[in-house]
Amino acid sequence: MSIAFACAVSHAPGIVAWRDAAPVEQRDRLYAGLESLRARLAAAHLDELVLFTCEHWTNFFLDHISPFCIGRADKYVGPVEPWLKIAKTEIAGDPELATAMLEHCYANDLEPGFAFEMELDHGTIIPLHFLAPDFKLPIVPVMFNTLAAPQPSVRRAFALGRALGEVIRRSPRRIGVIATGGMSHDPGERNHGAIDEALDREFLAAMSAGDVERITRWTTHEFAAAGAGTIELLAWVALAGALGRFRGEVVAYEPVRPWATGMGLMWLEEHGS
Amino acid sequence: MSTYTLQKAIRNINRRPDARTEFESAPEAFAARYELSAAEKSALLARDYGALYRLGVHGLLLRPFSLLRAVPEADYLAAIRRDA
Repeated sequence: MSIAFACAVSHAPGIVAWRDAAPVEQRDRLYAGLESLRARLAAAHLDELVLFTCEHWTNFFLDHISPFCIGRADKYVGPVEPWLKIAKTEIAGDPELATAMLEHCYANDLEPGFAFEMELDHGTIIPLHFLAPDFKLPIVPVMFNTLAAPQPSVRRAFALGRALGEVIRRSPRRIGVIATGGMSHDPGERNHGAIDEALDREFLAAMSAGDVERITRWTTHEFAAAGAGTIELLAWVALAGALGRFRGEVVAYEPVRPWATGMGLMWLEEHGS
Repeated sequence: MSTYTLQKAIRNINRRPDARTEFESAPEAFAARYELSAAEKSALLARDYGALYRLGVHGLLLRPFSLLRAVPEADYLAAIRRDA
């Protein structure tokens, strides 16, 4: 079976918490794009979702950091942020799929971390809020360390995505994958507000074309040079890995200055992998 | 290692309601639980975002910490960009 649904979305908290700060035209185009992704996700009749996601010191801390961490919990709660303006919700997990993912990775020389307890922050909750708003689909979150150096390489993120895609594809269940993070932004840092539109557009073009050679030629260092949060594009790279041969459609791209983020929305589909 | 402890203190304030309450009501007692340098302790107690940033606190710990006091973005950025 192919991957039943795939998309990649930015998750800047402003899209909920400071929605009115953005120019109305940009905001409307992004909300329309999210609505079209929600409709496509609903039409895919999914059984569950895998999220390639990033977090913001919610679970990961400097006492212990994994490059990647697969959630094996039977339920998750989020968002943790009291200021996000989204009610705290419980979401079912799928420890069985998570365990199958881990076993497949470890049998293939990849060793992601794992956790039986995880809380979710805006990085995971915002995409669910817009794309699966009843929060009824079970999820497996795969967290990427985009926070503390050294972060994983682009090639390693791609390889992880490839391995997880193999597990998803052989499941009898209809599984969708959402990559969330990016695009260029430097949250809370000195260049907060800077958006590298050229990088964002080049990355979107490579993803649209399914140009794996170009995608995997980027480096984590190049992402970091466009702002610390840009490293979250590793989640998009992993999605490219999961999909095999694919093409993408840019549903929306808006450099939203008041949200300090290059906001990208992309829908992807496999062809003949 | 000390920056680690400072970041741990701020992360606890951000994430744990009990730590947040103690930091609000008894900041000296809260700070005493952590092995902080004098500069770190004074920056934390003063909520001196610029000093905390220059001491090495990660932006995604520091900005949420400032949001607990609803610090406007422009004020936060002015503080961390000082002496850049």
